[in-house]
Amino acid sequence: MRNELVLEVCNVTKSFPGVRALKDISLRFYRGSVHALLGENGAGKSTLMKILAGIYAPDAGKILLKGKEVVFHNPKQSMESGIGMVHQEICLSPHQTAAENVFLGRSFAAKFGFFDWKKTNAEAGKIFEQLDMDVNPSDVVSDLSIAKQQMIEIAKAISLNSDIIILDEPTSSVTEEERIALFRMIRRLKEKGIAVIYISHRMEEILEIADTYTVLRDGEFVKSAAVEGATIEDIITGMVGRTLTYAAHESTSIQDEVVLEARNLSRRGVFENISFKVRKGEVVGLAGLVGAGRSEVARCIFGLDKKDGGSILIDGKECSIRNPRTAIDCGIGFVTEDRKFDGAVLEMTVQENITLPMLKLISRAGFIDRSRDGAIAGSAIDEYGVKTPSSKQKVINLSGGNQQKVIIAKWLKTNPKVLILDEPTRGIDVGAKNEIYKMINTLTGNGLAVIMISSEMPEILRMSDKIVVMREGRVTAELPKKGVTQDAIMRYALQ
Amino acid sequence: MEKEIRRKPGKTGPEQDKLKKLAKAFVSSYGLAFVILVFCIPVTIISPVFWSWRNITNIMVQMTVIGVLTMGQVFVLISGGGGIDLSVGSALALSAIAGAGLLNNFGIPVWACLLATLLTGAFIGAFNGLVITKIKISPLITTLAVQTGVRGIIMIVTGGADITNMPEGYTNIVSKGVGSISWSVIITFFVFVMTWIVLKYTKYGRELYAVGGNEYAANVSGINVTKIRLIAYTVCGLLAALGGIITTARLYTAGPRAGVGMELTAISAAVIGGTSLSGGKGYVAGAVLGVIFLQIIDNTTNLMAIPAAYVSALKGAIILGAAVLDRIRSSDSLK
Repeated sequence: MRNELVLEVCNVTKSFPGVRALKDISLRFYRGSVHALLGENGAGKSTLMKILAGIYAPDAGKILLKGKEVVFHNPKQSMESGIGMVHQEICLSPHQTAAENVFLGRSFAAKFGFFDWKKTNAEAGKIFEQLDMDVNPSDVVSDLSIAKQQMIEIAKAISLNSDIIILDEPTSSVTEEERIALFRMIRRLKEKGIAVIYISHRMEEILEIADTYTVLRDGEFVKSAAVEGATIEDIITGMVGRTLTYAAHESTSIQDEVVLEARNLSRRGVFENISFKVRKGEVVGLAGLVGAGRSEVARCIFGLDKKDGGSILIDGKECSIRNPRTAIDCGIGFVTEDRKFDGAVLEMTVQENITLPMLKLISRAGFIDRSRDGAIAGSAIDEYGVKTPSSKQKVINLSGGNQQKVIIAKWLKTNPKVLILDEPTRGIDVGAKNEIYKMINTLTGNGLAVIMISSEMPEILRMSDKIVVMREGRVTAELPKKGVTQDAIMRYALQ
Repeated sequence: MEKEIRRKPGKTGPEQDKLKKLAKAFVSSYGLAFVILVFCIPVTIISPVFWSWRNITNIMVQMTVIGVLTMGQVFVLISGGGGIDLSVGSALALSAIAGAGLLNNFGIPVWACLLATLLTGAFIGAFNGLVITKIKISPLITTLAVQTGVRGIIMIVTGGADITNMPEGYTNIVSKGVGSISWSVIITFFVFVMTWIVLKYTKYGRELYAVGGNEYAANVSGINVTKIRLIAYTVCGLLAALGGIITTARLYTAGPRAGVGMELTAISAAVIGGTSLSGGKGYVAGAVLGVIFLQIIDNTTNLMAIPAAYVSALKGAIILGAAVLDRIRSSDSLK
């Protein structure tokens, strides 16, 4: 039963508007083996997994399950065919018991339409025991830790007789002990002859648990190899190597004055002792993996989250930033990570979005000066090349790249001293990406200090004058641009 | 990986597209006015009395209370976060009774009585706002609790008895006016215009729409979300009190049962007029048309002596129809 081919992905291609997410990917998964899927954020791992889970349909290529071609129209079909997906975000019903969740939607009926508690608990208990799980069938899910909830998801997949179980970053929010328990469980799965697809950023884990690994980069297959004999260096080199085609950033604009200084910033349980300086005309890149605490540091500097310790200095003077308003008044702008969530008010017009942070400046006695409102928006659209039919167009009708430009323009019109960019090019196409890089170059040339958070290594390398690497809420390195390699950054981000 | 949200390109030619767009714009801006006019045609034939000046002024006076309450709901509904105020009916009654009670028992002047009434309403609104923004209880639950609780307080205070014989200085608000137009109508019209100005031309209005449209983006842009919502609920309470003043002036009486169920009529009017229950969207003109529509239905069915049960069923269908139309319109723009 072991080493038997169970799932085969053949020449799968998938595109989204403006992005080719997967190009001609072929992979094989075997029973009783843990196959690690690696790649930077945006490499195409999640897209591939979503295709296997029936969430997306491939544009081309096919999926062979136990030798037969399968086409999934929805997640249920995939689940019923034997592919169990455990998402990063738990999807259990929180107020029901562990056993109820395992058999959700397939309850054991007793006489007269009643629910057979005894059988449900007994069956769930059997599975939990098989998998070496320390969970009581009658525990209510919301009382359990994230790790145990994940285990219940796995148990649910097992109860469905899954042949393949996909684990998407299962250890991203669990303690060391829980991780050990989870790995014990994964080994049980292997013994049962299940193929496990394991997605993680943590190299040590890959070396510990996986049998095979595959590296994807920019939606393309890079390599597959056995974990035995592989080193972390091998894997990282596979993940990051790529050619650069974007606008370069020259460090000629840096001036001596420090504009923003973070001193020992701490927020309990999130990050500790974060210190760095940003000079006039300088781009400081915050590198690290998702969850390293970079966005949280930015939110704290901008007054969105409270800090427990440390201070923020602007032009050498300490600023007490209590909320975004005070941060804006101190000269900080913040382009957030998710433009749809907290970047733009999508149902409002381009003009209304651009002048939102400066309404006070353009209002007299509470009334908005309509001519200034229009003039500011108009000049922003011209200066920053926002492609929109009019300033009265709703932001929701613009493309992703142009939405992002509206948000950046909004902040630049407040005349900030420091601009924080959190994943400024996520989800936008290559052309718009390049325009944003050019925009950053022009701005630093005019003396703006920039803090850029990015999970794309090449972007960090290309655009930063200085790179601050974070891991698990701490600064692990501060590297000058010169001579830094992607491998070096990755190493500080991982170990 | 995310899909970009864009309008689907139409399959029709540009000319047809333009026509379609025009028709759509017409429906969304004037659709309700058109529906009202169509509704009035059979009414005019059946009871010509409808267009008499007397009947029109009558309709105007009758829509004053619902009119001001609806403006309050517009503020609260736009503010988002599930914004709704179910307590305005009770707030209306308690404010009126507070003012009338002070007037009757302590002989305070009419202007002081009116001020006390307005302050009571504003206080109830601010209380709603504080519970909703600071303790973060959902607006539905908060205002439902306040609706029930305040009605209880009214019964305790009054023992269920009306406060009657309001002085002329008070009742003149309805019985006197400019020519044959009552002061209450003028006040209501003033409230409509003020709300329109505030929403369209002021910093507060812009911020209110932003908070309702995306409170997180508004917060990042330096807008004090709590403050904006708190003001919306306070204004809503204040307008409820104004509704209380007009009710009392009309009936010469401040009664413990005044305003029962009016919150729902006001919310209906706002929704019929295109105000979204999910926040960030609302128009004064639409809401006013909503008020007029509901009032005309009441008036005409009364003229035609249609039983109340049928009227209620008709209104239900209209509210649902308006909501469905709004749904179609908003899903259209999201495609």
